[in-house]
Amino acid sequence: MTLLDKLRSIDKPPKPAPQPVCSGTDCYIRTELRESDEFPHIDCLTYDALMLMQSQPIPQPLDQSRILYLDTETTGLGTGAGTVAFEVGTGRLMKDGFHITQYVLRDYPEEPYLLSHIEEELKHSDMICTFNGRTFDIPLLRTRFLMNRMNPGCLDLPHVDLLPLARRIWKLRLKSCTLQHLETDILHVPRHGDLPGSEAPQRFFSYLKTGEFALLDDVLIHNAQDVASMCSLLSHMALLYHQPELHEAPEDLFSMASALEKEKHIREAQSVYRLVPSGRLHASSQLRLAATHRRAGEKSTAVKVYERMLSLHEGGVVPYIELAKYYEHTAKDPGKALELTRAALLLLAEPALGDDTAVQQTRFELQYRYDRLLRKRSGKVRD
Amino acid sequence: MNVDQLTEFLRRDQEFMENVVRWEELPAHEAQYRPFPSALDSRLREPLAKRGIYQLYTHQAHAIEEILRGHDVVVVTPTASGKTMCYNLPVLSEILRNPDARALYLFPTKALSADQVSELYELIEALDVDIKTYTYDGDTPGSARKAIRQAGHIVVTNPDMLHSGILPHHTKWVKLFENLKYIVIDEIHTYRGVFGSNLANVLRRLIRICDFYGAHPQFILCSATIANPDELACTLTGRPVTLVNDNGAPMGKRHIVFYNPPVVNRQLGIRAGVVPQVRNITGMLLKNGIQSITFARSRLNVEVLVKYLKEMVKDPLGNAGRVRGYRSGYLATQRREIERGLRAGKIDAVVSTNALELGIDIGALDACVLCGYPGTIASAWQQAGRAGRRKETSIVFFVASSAALDQFMVTHPDYFLKQSPENALLNPDNLYILLNHFKCAAYELPFEDNDSFGNAPAPDQLMEYLTESNILRHVDHRYHWMAEDFPASEISLRSAASENFVIIDITDPAHHRVIGEMDRYTVPMLLHENAIYMHEGIQYQVEQLDFDACKAYIRHVEVGYYTDADLNVSLSLLDIEQEDGQGAGLPRAYGEVKVTTLVTMFKKIRFDTHENLGFGHVRLPEIDMHTSAMWWTLPDEICGTLASDDLKNGMLGIANLLRIVTPLYLMCASTDVVVIYQVKSPITDKPSLIIYDATPGGIGLSQKAYGMQDLLLEKCLDIVDHCPCENGCPSCVGPVGEVGSLGKKHATQMLREMLQRARDRS
Repeated sequence: MTLLDKLRSIDKPPKPAPQPVCSGTDCYIRTELRESDEFPHIDCLTYDALMLMQSQPIPQPLDQSRILYLDTETTGLGTGAGTVAFEVGTGRLMKDGFHITQYVLRDYPEEPYLLSHIEEELKHSDMICTFNGRTFDIPLLRTRFLMNRMNPGCLDLPHVDLLPLARRIWKLRLKSCTLQHLETDILHVPRHGDLPGSEAPQRFFSYLKTGEFALLDDVLIHNAQDVASMCSLLSHMALLYHQPELHEAPEDLFSMASALEKEKHIREAQSVYRLVPSGRLHASSQLRLAATHRRAGEKSTAVKVYERMLSLHEGGVVPYIELAKYYEHTAKDPGKALELTRAALLLLAEPALGDDTAVQQTRFELQYRYDRLLRKRSGKVRD
Repeated sequence: MNVDQLTEFLRRDQEFMENVVRWEELPAHEAQYRPFPSALDSRLREPLAKRGIYQLYTHQAHAIEEILRGHDVVVVTPTASGKTMCYNLPVLSEILRNPDARALYLFPTKALSADQVSELYELIEALDVDIKTYTYDGDTPGSARKAIRQAGHIVVTNPDMLHSGILPHHTKWVKLFENLKYIVIDEIHTYRGVFGSNLANVLRRLIRICDFYGAHPQFILCSATIANPDELACTLTGRPVTLVNDNGAPMGKRHIVFYNPPVVNRQLGIRAGVVPQVRNITGMLLKNGIQSITFARSRLNVEVLVKYLKEMVKDPLGNAGRVRGYRSGYLATQRREIERGLRAGKIDAVVSTNALELGIDIGALDACVLCGYPGTIASAWQQAGRAGRRKETSIVFFVASSAALDQFMVTHPDYFLKQSPENALLNPDNLYILLNHFKCAAYELPFEDNDSFGNAPAPDQLMEYLTESNILRHVDHRYHWMAEDFPASEISLRSAASENFVIIDITDPAHHRVIGEMDRYTVPMLLHENAIYMHEGIQYQVEQLDFDACKAYIRHVEVGYYTDADLNVSLSLLDIEQEDGQGAGLPRAYGEVKVTTLVTMFKKIRFDTHENLGFGHVRLPEIDMHTSAMWWTLPDEICGTLASDDLKNGMLGIANLLRIVTPLYLMCASTDVVVIYQVKSPITDKPSLIIYDATPGGIGLSQKAYGMQDLLLEKCLDIVDHCPCENGCPSCVGPVGEVGSLGKKHATQMLREMLQRARDRS
């Protein structure tokens, strides 16, 4: 009994696959040109806008035609050594429109050709733009280069991954920040009849088993749309960074201001915090705004914000505390500070059983401040 | 009192000596030294000198010389002989000279790797060089992983992580694989059976990936004392390996006392309980200020013994910190504290499960008590090795329980003392295991026509099979992975079949917890509904078995019985690979079989008296398994004269004896092989005794049994001849109630004739 017979006796395998013969001297290449009208805000995509969104250095001046939009379709979701990118879609904005070039494996042996094309594309680029490419597409391509004994160094370009950037701005409002959701809810161009990306691997395997190349049509359409949407999304985000007032919801304004603050664009963050309209997030925005001024040493501006908050009864005890600090230490007006502290203590009201430790801590600190200020007023403590 | 005084005292104690069946003295060994091998980087000498080490033991120097000469080496090291130096020194020497060099350390468990790495850290710190050592396992935080991949000189991990976390992602470990110089595998004696067969295949994959990156690492392996360390090392690595076993570490004199508790019921062959006997012995050591370790078989016994001993020595406030328990389930910090306490001599008695058997450093103790036989000779020696000072005398007590294996050991002390320990067996070419790893390998790197996979047989046929199954695609002389899934994630190194059942404890409705796993072939026997399942000494009842979802739900119970499922086994022959003994001899054969098992009912059996309390029905599907088997066909001359009942009882008796003897001589767990008898076997059409591997595909146990037939039959005969019972007991052919009053007689007679015929032939 041979090993093969034994194996067959354990588990009868299905019929063997027919073997389409299609390993040429190049991979399959599909191109598509989309009108520039499809990308109405592309002019907003400037060096300055990109530097507001993220902090890694990118070449200046920005040459739009040297941004490579890239998205892969793979044989699986893992990034292990056996997962292959059977298709790599690239997009590039040129004078005559948005050029999409898709490189497709008709069979595994064409992979080195596909990778050479990617290498060539990257050579003509200053920057890569992907959606979730930092954890998926780029490491996967790196693996593919290594597996084919090619140098993955070409992938070391500045890289803007739209997923984390979009998530920062819209996660408060949208449950899901997939590219498809962003297209529907942000760009307002929903897709119809799209092949779910998760079905791409099976389509590729079915094609290999049957030789029906048409099975990949839906995958290619899906992928081309992904690539184009990346350009739309990036330019739309650039627009919003230029004109934050165009945001559709206060959550988005607040999130964008936080993102700007995180990237240390304090002036821009402050002006976006100021745009948050009255409502649920207004108080949080004002607190953040005051805090940025306070940290920048602009105490009087911060005080103005806190005082406006007091007048609007916003922000709970925090404005009282911050103002009390200001009057005690900066304005040297312990009487006013005492008054504010007392008001804060009254606001916290009676201790309740449900108070969490943070509230208890705040109450404790206020009481401490209050006692100190009392002593100070009676002249027992020097400042 | 010291150990020498204690032995004097015990030898005069008549009551004690009545139960001692053998008292063996092992002489002391002087240390044997060799100078530092000159090829070792001289920078290593200073930090060692600071620790008072100016020369090496012979085996250390020998191992290092062989390693530096470029050989793959396996070092056999008794406990506390300084084995980590055998690999740490050459590895550090290499990295000192070539800072790009990398080494990979594999330990079987996480706890062990933590312990060994701390020793390595100390040495690196003393060297004051930038050599980075990292542990990479399931606990490594994601943020640290990238740095480890890039910069770790020495990466410490376990086989499971190498299999599922490193090899499939080898492109992220380019630095490691391009520069890998040494692969260190410690405690290789633990890699036997399924785990070892899996590891051998993981190593085939590792070597293949190293080849891809142009690296040709050397193996440094360490093993406890087993019969075939070099054979095991060769099978694991697929290469010839140089054996180093000239142990030069010093050892004081050792006493080994075989203690068999007195018989309390001769009819049933029942002896005084092992736990009270051990309590007395350990208690005596404790009272006399002799530091000891006691090994118990279960967590429950550990806790019972600790309770007894603490009672014995507690102070007026009820504190008894000198006595501690140690087992899995204790917190890691608590365990470290106990280990430190032992090293510092602050703890006088520790009672442990085999958790302390592996090389965790607790220093050397004066005395060791084995509460029952731990299952293998190698394991018994490892436990005994916990007692053994370099200079002073030490003592080991082996206290036997009534279990058949224990009784065999205590009545055959020479087996333990003279016989070299067991062979560690593994079968890297087990079809199921091989196929699993072949898939992983194909995922990691496409195979090309005529590629080999280590020394696996017929890789081309594996490729063809996987191509037929649409898992690989053959094009332009290469085999490409053509499936969405990631093969390593479905494969556990600790079992052969991929679909394991999880065992879920639902005692606390708010906290269902998974307490274990079981392979699907064993599930119908032990986890059928209403089965009493024992886990860590605790009784559970199976409430529901969801066969499709592979889940068993169990609940804690306390009942006075256990359950025993009636397993209907039918065998059909697939292939005979070897046979002889036809004609005047004893016909035997080895080959592949299909085992179909079906459980239809179970018995409830009362503890102690073993009386049958009733039956229950089980509704489960049949399970097929392909495995390897060996069988004897009983010729008409042996059984022709016997009445059919006598034949059946005699065969049952022999099968029971083989169930005792076979695992002993194959060095496997008793659940790893199955012995059955068939009065009219579908394989041979005659009365047959069959031994088969319980693991799908087999791991070589029945093949080994085929080769050992005379030995197995001799030992069976030996047991039954020397058993003091009248007509059968659990320690030999089985209780009278099972084999009948003539079972022992007929089994003995048949065995004698079988052995006679087997010998005549040769």
